[in-house]
Amino acid sequence: MARRSRSSFQPQWLIAGGIALVALFAAGSYFFNQASDPYRTAAPLVVATYLENSNSLRGNTYRVQGEVLNVLGYSPSEGRLISVGVDATNDIVPVLIPSELGHRDIEKGQKFIFLLEVTDQGILRAKDLTKA
Amino acid sequence: MKTTLPALLLGLAALSASAQVVDQPAPKPAPAPAQSSGGGNGGGGNNNANSQSSFLGKDVPFFDPDNETVTWDGKSWNVTNNRVFQARFEKYLNAPAEDDAKAAEYDALLDQIRNLLRPRNVNPKTLDEAFSLLPKASEYRRDAGLCDTISNQVYAAWQAQQDRARMAAATDALATERDRLNHNKVVTLESASFSTGGSSKADQNKDSVASRANNERLNAEIQPYDLRIIEVNALMKATQAKRALKELQAKIEFQSLIVQLFLQRRFQHVLIATGFYRNVFNDGDDEVQVKGSAKDLFDKSTGMPPTVSTVDAMAGEVIRDVAEGVDAYNYLIERNELDSATKRLSESFLIGEYLPPIRTLSRDKKRVSLSYAQKGNQLVNAIEVKDYALAEKLVHEMEGLAKDFDSSKPMAAIQTSKTIAAMHLAKAQNAAVAGDHATLETELQAATEIWPRNPQLADVAGMVFSQGNVQNKALVDFDQLLGQKNYRQIFDDQGRFIAAVAFDEKRKAQLTEVMNNMRVIETAIGTAQQREKIGDPAGAWESAEQAFAKYPTDPKLNELRADLTTKAADFVRALRRAEELEKRGQPGSSLAWFLKAQQEYPNSDFAREGIERITKQILPDAT
Repeated sequence: MARRSRSSFQPQWLIAGGIALVALFAAGSYFFNQASDPYRTAAPLVVATYLENSNSLRGNTYRVQGEVLNVLGYSPSEGRLISVGVDATNDIVPVLIPSELGHRDIEKGQKFIFLLEVTDQGILRAKDLTKA
Repeated sequence: MKTTLPALLLGLAALSASAQVVDQPAPKPAPAPAQSSGGGNGGGGNNNANSQSSFLGKDVPFFDPDNETVTWDGKSWNVTNNRVFQARFEKYLNAPAEDDAKAAEYDALLDQIRNLLRPRNVNPKTLDEAFSLLPKASEYRRDAGLCDTISNQVYAAWQAQQDRARMAAATDALATERDRLNHNKVVTLESASFSTGGSSKADQNKDSVASRANNERLNAEIQPYDLRIIEVNALMKATQAKRALKELQAKIEFQSLIVQLFLQRRFQHVLIATGFYRNVFNDGDDEVQVKGSAKDLFDKSTGMPPTVSTVDAMAGEVIRDVAEGVDAYNYLIERNELDSATKRLSESFLIGEYLPPIRTLSRDKKRVSLSYAQKGNQLVNAIEVKDYALAEKLVHEMEGLAKDFDSSKPMAAIQTSKTIAAMHLAKAQNAAVAGDHATLETELQAATEIWPRNPQLADVAGMVFSQGNVQNKALVDFDQLLGQKNYRQIFDDQGRFIAAVAFDEKRKAQLTEVMNNMRVIETAIGTAQQREKIGDPAGAWESAEQAFAKYPTDPKLNELRADLTTKAADFVRALRRAEELEKRGQPGSSLAWFLKAQQEYPNSDFAREGIERITKQILPDAT
């Protein structure tokens, strides 16, 4: 009977290589994203806490990523009040885009990363934003 | 006279039947056979006044045949409707006939006396025989002692006549005495003239003094004769006057008895008494000495002054008339004409209650009309007390009993009264519905006065009063429920309250408002239930909540709202939290909750309104 060659292809190697490739991609992607979020140093907003008692968060700055759902109101002096669907919790929070940021193009359905400050009335006032 | 006689007699009979209260005229009062007490029914007389009136001077009734009423002492009443008469007539119809041997003997005895006193038979012997039969006749119960009374009166008249003879003898004696005195006076004067005649002139002068003395002596002798003659003349005149007075008194007493017997309808005794009267007082003067109304009674009835003969003739006429009436009754009964028969018998009874044709009528024959007469009396009473239901029933019964009964008159009275009463009741009902209490009271009173026993009266009054009670209770309940804001209860009983407040403008407006509110609540409930059915609990809750905000006390709405709250818990919780934070001055969080609620139920009005409200707060100058 003929003897099989020892150097034949092993399927286990293929699986392990795939996993490694995915891990490499994920890590690359993560580091890429981290590198693209300019507000990565700010703490993410804990929406549940905000909903429970916004007063406790007054004066703090948080980072929120979400989709613009609706424009609730517009004031030439104050700016625009929009509703944002938070990606992380599926909650909706109101965000005030002050007139200083009025030049930014914000449309319904767009995803942004907001740098937010909690004002005295518990209003989330955007200090800056960037498209996600 | 024949035509007016029944009228006169009816009047007299009514007097006798209803009120035999005239004063008895002296000297021997006749025992009245039918002494009924009291005055006449239905407007009767004044007994006190009557008893004080002079006999036959006034208070004598007058009968008006047009309407069968008797007028007496200024008052009138219907003879045939007289309660006492009705009672007596019924008693008579139930009484057995007096057709036994004794009654026949009595009637024969009275006939015998009357025969003896007839002008063609009468002589001193028959007069004495008739007088001797009077005590015998008075022994019978039916006579009631009247023959004794006549006997006494005849005896008293005879006594008066004997006194008159004695007085005539006394007058003769006085005349003799007067003649004797005249003779003595003449003799005395003649002897005095003889003793003073034949003397000379000288002697005459000489004796002038003596002559004057003689004249004085003569005057003294004659004067007693003159005085005695004057006395005797006066005595004669007094005796003559007394004699005339005695005769007149005896006549008046006898006439009074005759009239009294006539008034008592004892016509057989009237004939006997007049027979004796004519023989006792045979001077041709038989005018009855009555005055005033009693005289008018005879004058107007007969057209001539009352005399003993007139009274005698009237009594005879009555006896004949009663006999005819009883014959007519028997004939009408045979023809089943009960109405006419009963009327004829009642008329005959009224006039000749004590006459043989009436007394001897058999009980069986009388009882034929008894039931009819009773019903007739009941009918009169029923109409008198305004019991028209009973009256109508009696009229129908009488129609069945008597084929000749004329029901038109009573039925006209009954139907007219019923119609008027019904009109008043209808007005009362209308007034009750309109809440016009004054008219209601007036009309009910009028209806009651016209027909007191109207069966509909109690029904209507009960209905009106119960309606009033129900209405009042409904109004009280309405006020209470309104105060409690229990509009649901008012809504559920709206039928009762709508009727109760129909004429109360203020409450009517309040009820209208309640009804409008309840319509809003019911609409909200209906909408909520509909939305719940299609799987929209949040929308259903919001419908209920919107109504609840305005009407928080409605129990049905509350119940539904509570039920829906559990079914749309997330939506409700989001809204509640939003509102709470809004109140706490946290518009940011509040807005987030409103947005969350809107996410749960995009069509939510509450969420939309909350978002707009908070947005306006954050951006006051938002466009």
